[in-house]
Amino acid sequence: MEKGYLCLVLHGHLPYVRHPEHEDFLEEDWLYEAITETYIPLAATFESLIRDSIDFRMTMGMSPTLISMLLDPLLQSRYQQHIELLIELAEKEVQRTCWQPEFNRLARMYLDKFKFARWFFVDKYQKNLVTAFKNVQDAGKLEIITCGATHGYFPLMEVCKASVRAQVRTAVDQYKRVFGRQPNGIWLPECGYNPHDDEILLENGIRFFFVDTHGVLHGTPRPKYGVFAPVFCKSGVACFARDVESSKQVWSAEEGYPGDFWYRDFYRDIGFDLDFEYIKPYIHKDGIRINTGIKYYRITGRTNDKQPYVPEMAREKAAEHAGNFMFNRQKQAEYLFDVLQKKPIIVSPYDAELFGHWWYEGPEWINFLLRKIACDQNVIKTITPSEYLLKFPRNQVITPSMSSWGWKGYSEYWLEGSNDWVYRHLHKASERMSELVRYFPDAQGLPRRALNQALRELLLAQSSDWAFIMKTGTHVPYAVQRTKDHILRFTKLYMQVKDNAIDEPWLSGIESTDNIFPDIDYRFHA
Amino acid sequence: MGEKMLRASQTRPKTSSERMSGNVMKKCDTFVEKKAIAAAKSSAKSTAAKSASLKEKKEKSTIRKAALERRRSLLETLRDFSSRSGKPEKTAPLQQLEKGGRLVEQSKYVTTLEPSEPAVEPRGKQNGHHLPAGYGDNRIVIQVRDPLWLHAYWELTAGKFDALHLEFGALLNGARRLLRVYDITGIFFDGTNAHGYFDVEINPEANSWYLHVGNPGRSYCVDIGLLLTNGRFITLARSNFVTTPLAGPSWITDEEWMIVEEDFNRLYGLSVGFGVGLSSADIKRQISKRLKQQLSSGALSSPGASAGVQRGKPEHERKFWLVVNTELIVYGATEPDAQLTVQGRPVRLNKDGTFSLRFSLPDGEQVIPVKAVSADKVDERVITPIVTRRTE
Repeated sequence: MEKGYLCLVLHGHLPYVRHPEHEDFLEEDWLYEAITETYIPLAATFESLIRDSIDFRMTMGMSPTLISMLLDPLLQSRYQQHIELLIELAEKEVQRTCWQPEFNRLARMYLDKFKFARWFFVDKYQKNLVTAFKNVQDAGKLEIITCGATHGYFPLMEVCKASVRAQVRTAVDQYKRVFGRQPNGIWLPECGYNPHDDEILLENGIRFFFVDTHGVLHGTPRPKYGVFAPVFCKSGVACFARDVESSKQVWSAEEGYPGDFWYRDFYRDIGFDLDFEYIKPYIHKDGIRINTGIKYYRITGRTNDKQPYVPEMAREKAAEHAGNFMFNRQKQAEYLFDVLQKKPIIVSPYDAELFGHWWYEGPEWINFLLRKIACDQNVIKTITPSEYLLKFPRNQVITPSMSSWGWKGYSEYWLEGSNDWVYRHLHKASERMSELVRYFPDAQGLPRRALNQALRELLLAQSSDWAFIMKTGTHVPYAVQRTKDHILRFTKLYMQVKDNAIDEPWLSGIESTDNIFPDIDYRFHA
Repeated sequence: MGEKMLRASQTRPKTSSERMSGNVMKKCDTFVEKKAIAAAKSSAKSTAAKSASLKEKKEKSTIRKAALERRRSLLETLRDFSSRSGKPEKTAPLQQLEKGGRLVEQSKYVTTLEPSEPAVEPRGKQNGHHLPAGYGDNRIVIQVRDPLWLHAYWELTAGKFDALHLEFGALLNGARRLLRVYDITGIFFDGTNAHGYFDVEINPEANSWYLHVGNPGRSYCVDIGLLLTNGRFITLARSNFVTTPLAGPSWITDEEWMIVEEDFNRLYGLSVGFGVGLSSADIKRQISKRLKQQLSSGALSSPGASAGVQRGKPEHERKFWLVVNTELIVYGATEPDAQLTVQGRPVRLNKDGTFSLRFSLPDGEQVIPVKAVSADKVDERVITPIVTRRTE
């Protein structure tokens, strides 16, 4: 009999980036890279586990923006072009490196992987990767949870809760359409919890969410089981808190697995390393060097003198690290079981894009880990939050503390000198949206289209990603531009609707560029 | 795709004289080109690598351009807030904990002038590229940044001040602008019943401020107002109410789920991942240490880190450096329908019978037999360049 449970959570999210007006758009690469390096390898890993009858449970957040992009025909066909181009580059690399076997084998590895990605994406799933994950959910192994519609950061929406409601409703609405069922759980964007937001979750049929460690530890009253059992908010919505120890093993820049010297180095990419004329067709059209995804070196050490990547060694390491992770969770569960006199649940959430994109061997690590847990021991079991709550329906009632999983644990990353200017605009737009909903309780025809579009623009402006990017310092002009664009479009719509002067051709234009959530209902913002 | 390959393979433009006419093998021109790709990079301050090739300069300038573009755009954003006031930008010493980059610092010190016009209306005036400096409101909003800090932003209209002027006249001269921060924990605040308050004098040009309240688990409300020389405080706008989160475990336990202090401390230590047997002082230290660690999306895989012009390089290695690699281009032409092999490997010819192969060239000797066989297998030509690379 098991002594405890492991709840692995991957949070998959990218902001909505789609620019039909440009043939080649730098920031769209975020999606293409993640498809090749993260989403396809993860889906393929889950499939292989099912094929081999491995019993596993995994929880995965798929943000509505990510789902929208994965379902968008334009982005789908652009990804196909992208992977075709990568295959072409990999073929050239196989030729170019033929006098250097240590690189040549890597070029071949990439060629194989890219061809597999094309097959998986185009042939197996007809460009619809959401189906791949839905299948794993339908097989009972994966619990897919939703997220804020555009990843708006809820703690900084305290003065406009209607927007929190719109974020949640839009997300749940999309989830039902895409997955054919009600979502049980939500990943609060950036793990940002603000007391009473759970009431909005409850309205929308959500049964659980996650917070960072201190969200529960500093909750009121004190949590009897620390972070090793979920708690119920007064609303009855359950709250699971992150376990630090398991997080650290994967996340930490110093102590984490991904920093192992045998793993692939993220930064050395041929997009930057090779002769400009040669690589030009495969980087940005304006000649801006970008990551291609072909990287030949391993981390090696704290040096710039990188050694060639050796996939076999990296694979060995991934297996070793999976074993180590499992061993530590076993010890942790045994110990906690003694202390608590109750089977603990260890919640380990990670950004999905960490696996494969940043930590190239990450999907392999998950593969090893789930196989080992299923076959090599019986101290811990993987579990989904829904299953846990069915097994253990009685939990302590606590009001979790406001918290996030961002730097320093609260809102500072999204509220500081580089980005604090956005909130006066976001809050005003939200206030105006509520005003529109009050004035037009049941709009039809053109005004309805304009109102729906107004809500799309507002939601897009609210993505926490823009503030995040302003803070990190890369792609800042883009994030600033996106914030401005959506706010300005919203404002224009607000004026036009109020004055009953809707510019239909212009509306049609932005409906086709900002085309997220085709079934949105502006009254979600209530 | 085909077009791209063609483009890539034509590393040297062909002149018409190179297109030879002949019977069997028109031309097999092996052109050997050693390319030294020297990438030189130096810190922003040093007089960037003079020896860098044109190409690198181009690349560098792309990066620099992007950086400048970024800066310009940010400054533009900042300017948006002050552009409509028509007065010069002034700085307000915002209280900040965070040491950011220069840009971030700049952004902290650039603020809006006021009173501002309601810039959005009338509609005709709206500039398609700029956000309005204000919305014609008299309002102040506060948000919680963390257990110890609040952020306040506000907007006050000219009309508000006109009205005040009518009412108070000369009394307004010499009035100081304040943020009055009320502690309203556990009460229904009516403007008079706060547990206490403190004032922060602000620069009249500021439109936002970080407030160090220093008390976790308390509720606050902030007025922006004027302190007249006679000591009277006039509220210009009152904020929403917020509550800061606790910075440590709650002192409240519930009977049913009670846990003794010692056990809780043990559990707390386990929960934050630092083992057992911590004193409460240790615990405080550990949680604050834990919160300073990067264990989430901020740490690694932000989308921003994944593409584009910025490459993460360890800071200490951003010194002068040099990388040299060599590549070899072997190219030529034959009959378009001939079979061609290079080092025994078949090579696909372009439609016009040309070919171009690019090799990464390591140290040592490379023997490169290029063999062409006519379509009818009657004719055969072999040319074998031998290339040696030696690095000193």
